Amino acid sequence: MEISTEREGTLLVARAGGRLDSINAREFDDALKSAISESDQVLIMDLEKVSYVSSAGLRVILLTAKNLQQRSAKLLICSLAEPIREVFEISGFDKIIPIHADLTAARASLG
Amino acid sequence: MSWKYKILVVDDEPDLERLMLQRMRRDIRAGLYKFVFAHNGLEALDRLKEEPDIDLVLSDINMPKMDGLTLIEQIPKVQPDIRSVIISAYGDMKNIRTAMNRGAFDFVTKPIDFDDLKLTISRTLQHLVEWREALESRDKLVALQNELGVASKIQQSILPTRFPDKPGCRMFANMKPARNVGGDFFDVIHLADGRIGIAIADVSDKGVPAALFMMSCRTLIKGAAIGKTDPGEVLHEVNQLLQEDNDAAMFVTVFYGVYDPDSRRFHYANGGHNSPLVVHADGSSAELPLTGGIALGLIPDLDYDNKSVTLAPGDLIVMYTDGVTEAFDEEGNQFGTQRLQEVFAGAEPTDVQAANRSVFEAVEKFAGDTPQSDDITCVTLLHGSDGG
Repeated sequence: MEISTEREGTLLVARAGGRLDSINAREFDDALKSAISESDQVLIMDLEKVSYVSSAGLRVILLTAKNLQQRSAKLLICSLAEPIREVFEISGFDKIIPIHADLTAARASLG
Repeated sequence: MSWKYKILVVDDEPDLERLMLQRMRRDIRAGLYKFVFAHNGLEALDRLKEEPDIDLVLSDINMPKMDGLTLIEQIPKVQPDIRSVIISAYGDMKNIRTAMNRGAFDFVTKPIDFDDLKLTISRTLQHLVEWREALESRDKLVALQNELGVASKIQQSILPTRFPDKPGCRMFANMKPARNVGGDFFDVIHLADGRIGIAIADVSDKGVPAALFMMSCRTLIKGAAIGKTDPGEVLHEVNQLLQEDNDAAMFVTVFYGVYDPDSRRFHYANGGHNSPLVVHADGSSAELPLTGGIALGLIPDLDYDNKSVTLAPGDLIVMYTDGVTEAFDEEGNQFGTQRLQEVFAGAEPTDVQAANRSVFEAVEKFAGDTPQSDDITCVTLLHGSDGG
């Protein structure tokens, strides 16, 4: 599981690829934790290259959102492929975490 | 005389002792169960100290000297490796919930339905046996894989194995666990007036913590289901209880429906689960409309909307987990809902078990040699076109 990150001030963009499933959920979690710094106010997860998200993957995303929220930072998600968008919709997670069509839209939502 | 399991029954009503010995006489004679009795919590604790071979405690709630809820809390201090089942008034969710929180494994309601009690006892004991075996092997091999073995045994022990098979409602359900991953479960709950509560669910994680989360989820659904008639309220209550102290952010997607064979009405609510299919007598099918609910265990005070459909004769409801639609083939394609619909296309579903099996066969054929990455669960309900 590899993620690449880019930091612009207090905004962190993290790009993941491949499958986020129970096999690499912990790895994904560790990678995110080490990438995020205390000063980050917004994390945008760009999941364009992700082909599959299982419930274990969703849980990592949710835990990340929760941890950020605890210190008043927030998580946005963007660029979901259609099947993954459906996973977020069916589980109702699109109502918990803001989802944007692409990185530009996610950035724009920050005002 | 020897017996396999010793059960301590705690109740202040003297009639229960006579009734229990009478209704359970076959199992007693066959050497399966030995019953011993106590009339309040204090007496029960004394018996547990005197007789360390007691396997299960079946206890009433309201009793003099020490009530059942206090007893449940005290049991692990005397005998940690024991399971308890509580007897409560019908719909007394407050006490049932307290008992569950204090470690009761299951509950039965008054007036006691002895068939239900027998099933509950045998399921609890089965769980206990598997738990003991698992603990034993865990002592020998402290390894992750082994812990997952414990989880999978817990998972297997809560699944029902008998299903309604009556005119107007025939059901079948099956779960094929993935190696090292456990999260799916289902339940069939017999409600008042012949209605049947059906739950299918998928817990987000694996391992022992997830299995314990699954167990409390299953028990909470059962408890809420008999206390409430509205599926949305059932999910609301279960969510409310699960989200307390859930720092690990585990969650569960749950579809819960209540089927009334008399009116053929299927009333349901959905907490983030895949929408079931309705297959009609001509083989055409459609997904049940979504109700827009969020997976349970995460956010307090959620409302869950209800929807309902009335089944036509011959209609089959296919409930499933994402292990079905998200099964992969060798090229990395997903099975998807369309292939699931194709399983039923063109033929009238007449046998609920065959319909269930055909889902598993189609997924297996599609996946080929690709390893199964998630549990696969399918629950089918048929209202036969012959009225039966």
